[in-house]
Amino acid sequence: MDVDPRLFENVKVSDGEVRKIVLSYLVHNCFKETAETFIACSGMKRTADCSVDIDKRKPIYNHVLEGNASKAIELTNQLAVDLLTSNPDVHFDLLTLHFIELVRAKDCASALEFAQKELRPFGKQQGRYLDKLQDCMALLAYENPETSPMFNYLSPEYRHSVADALNSAVLAHANLPSYTSMERLLQHTTVVRQRLHQELGKDGPPIFTLKAFLKS
Amino acid sequence: MGGDSDVGQPPLKRQKLSKPSHKTPCEGSRTGVAATGSAALMARSICSNDGETVGSHGQIRKVEFVRIIEQALFSLGYQQAGAVLEEESGIRLQSPAVQQFREDILAGRWDECVATLSEIGVLEESTYKAALFLVLQQKFLESLEASNTTAALETLRSEISPLGVSTSKVHQLASFIVCFPEDLLAKAQWKGAGQESRQSLLEELQQLLPPSIMVPERRLEHLIEVALQVQREACVYHNTLDHVLSLYSDHRCSRDQIPTRTLQVVEGDSLKVKYKFTGHSKPVSFVAWSPDDTMLLTCGNEEVVKLWDISTGQCKYTYDKPNSCFTSCAWFPDGKRFVSGGGDKCIYMWDLEGHELEAWKGARMPRINDLAITTDGSHMVSICDHKNIRIYNLEEKTERVIEEEKPITSLSVSKNGRYLLVNLVSQEIHLWDISAATKDLPKKYRGHKQGRYVIRSCFGGTDYAFIVSGSEDSQVYIWHRWNGELLDVLSGHSGTVNSVSWNPVNPHMFASASDDHTIRIWGLSNRPMPKKHDEKPGSSNGFDHLVNGGTRDLLENLRPFNSDTD
Repeated sequence: MDVDPRLFENVKVSDGEVRKIVLSYLVHNCFKETAETFIACSGMKRTADCSVDIDKRKPIYNHVLEGNASKAIELTNQLAVDLLTSNPDVHFDLLTLHFIELVRAKDCASALEFAQKELRPFGKQQGRYLDKLQDCMALLAYENPETSPMFNYLSPEYRHSVADALNSAVLAHANLPSYTSMERLLQHTTVVRQRLHQELGKDGPPIFTLKAFLKS
Repeated sequence: MGGDSDVGQPPLKRQKLSKPSHKTPCEGSRTGVAATGSAALMARSICSNDGETVGSHGQIRKVEFVRIIEQALFSLGYQQAGAVLEEESGIRLQSPAVQQFREDILAGRWDECVATLSEIGVLEESTYKAALFLVLQQKFLESLEASNTTAALETLRSEISPLGVSTSKVHQLASFIVCFPEDLLAKAQWKGAGQESRQSLLEELQQLLPPSIMVPERRLEHLIEVALQVQREACVYHNTLDHVLSLYSDHRCSRDQIPTRTLQVVEGDSLKVKYKFTGHSKPVSFVAWSPDDTMLLTCGNEEVVKLWDISTGQCKYTYDKPNSCFTSCAWFPDGKRFVSGGGDKCIYMWDLEGHELEAWKGARMPRINDLAITTDGSHMVSICDHKNIRIYNLEEKTERVIEEEKPITSLSVSKNGRYLLVNLVSQEIHLWDISAATKDLPKKYRGHKQGRYVIRSCFGGTDYAFIVSGSEDSQVYIWHRWNGELLDVLSGHSGTVNSVSWNPVNPHMFASASDDHTIRIWGLSNRPMPKKHDEKPGSSNGFDHLVNGGTRDLLENLRPFNSDTD
């Protein structure tokens, strides 16, 4: 890091603000017990709908992580009836997840049927779903999808990204922030440093990467 | 050795078992195929004919020659004749395996096709796989169309995907599974199961497989057409609307195909005057018919432009500008607009009601001497400052300037809009390609006389193969456009020939105008033809008979200019 650490001495960071950042992260990611303990230990004021909200969101999030898309859809619909219809991107991602799990289980017949019933209408709509649909369908073409070019759809990272997307949608629906403050702060820093780098070139600080920052 | 059990085998293994170093397919090992040859045919191997050639130059392999004749016979419907030739010559058009393969494709017996494919000859690994892919793709699409999705999926997974051919194509096929059946044909750009698509598949395979295995369709017709094309291009006097060329002798038109004889001399009172248009105060230097022949534009010599209605004889409009000194104008192909240019260094575009639509002016615009618009309306060509040809692309609004070394007197453009012709005072006519890069040299035509006056030239004949121009020595000059050869010099006029115009619909007629106050119409002369004992008069009119080899000599002479084609 080439920014002179002495410059940081002039910047005061309030502890209360930092606690809010940590809490927002915990709440967003459904760490209910940790959040409760943290509030108790730090003597913070509780926000009212904190735990209720987490109780509802956590199972949905976990189901997606496990790949159980149909359960997740069911619970989401219980929580908020129109959420999926007003977020077609998320809805599509969940459906593809279900499809992928069927492919993983080598249940091609069901996968095929499901695709024709649920995914087909999306393909007809706009072009944006078409590429992803084509990629998912391609999984069917291989006897060993794990070794195909589309293997990333089977990975836990994909499930994680779908879970995050759903989580954000649920939070947004409840008029809560759909991103954590921590995330926003990091994004902020990255963008600002990028701009500086673009404008000042060698004279300015280098581009921000979280990985490098944590190492230093 | 049944074919089916070997489907999974790589073709290389098969290659080692069959006869080595042979390109032509030997007998297939398939049992149960109806053999069309006799036992003698089986015994005689195709290989023994391989080195023989036919023809006086030793360029044609006998085996190939016989095979394309057989193909021609079969395609004409003469099955028996074809079969007899196969038997007599011992040369088969295609091996039984290929025959079987073709039939399997047309009948949709896909599994048999896959099996036969490994047997029909020595194929490179990639070709084999590509061919296999095409066959399996057809199988896949036909299953999908029949809503047999599970079967289609199975084909995709177990047969197509493992080939490792074109991942993107495989993914595309996978996506067809979810599209609605009615969309399938459109999305796959496929004609649907049936003879038509299977026939197209066969043609695709034919192009993929080496021609020694599957001779391309209509090969003999194609070879002949190529030869005829060469003869036609070598034919210097070619000027006939006739499309069909005889195969009996090398084609060559004689000079009689170009108009060389005065048919009519038109002078003074012999033309019936329909209207006299008066109104110009200066001598009229330019006239142009509208594309639909209903109107006439006339230009005074550095004066106004007038638009006349032919049916009424009235002047519809006079186009004027302060300091008007228009010298020329040109119609747009839609007949609704025209451009005019002149000494005031501006070019104006007008409509028929007298409105000015557009103007090109400015310090960079030089004096315009001549204007033309290409027949497709895409380019406007003008002669500026005597020496520059400015080609302006009306759609892209870009321009290109060609600089000549000597002053230009006149301009004309070809009917296909690709070429322009300029007469220079240096007694040369230059032919430029409108769209090509500027550094290409123009074709040049010389021989005529031009020093002081405006002499016009134009394109003529079918395919615009001739350049014709007037001349100050009272003669008309005709050149061959491609090789620059001066074909004829026609006398008859007694004064400078100012302008020529070739009849746009009759390739055997043109007109010339001269300072001797006459207009001459030129047409074909009737020279008596040398009679051949077995020729019908109709088929050989105007043709010299070139024996085999005559065309070759002719081509030698044309070589320097022969690089262009229209």
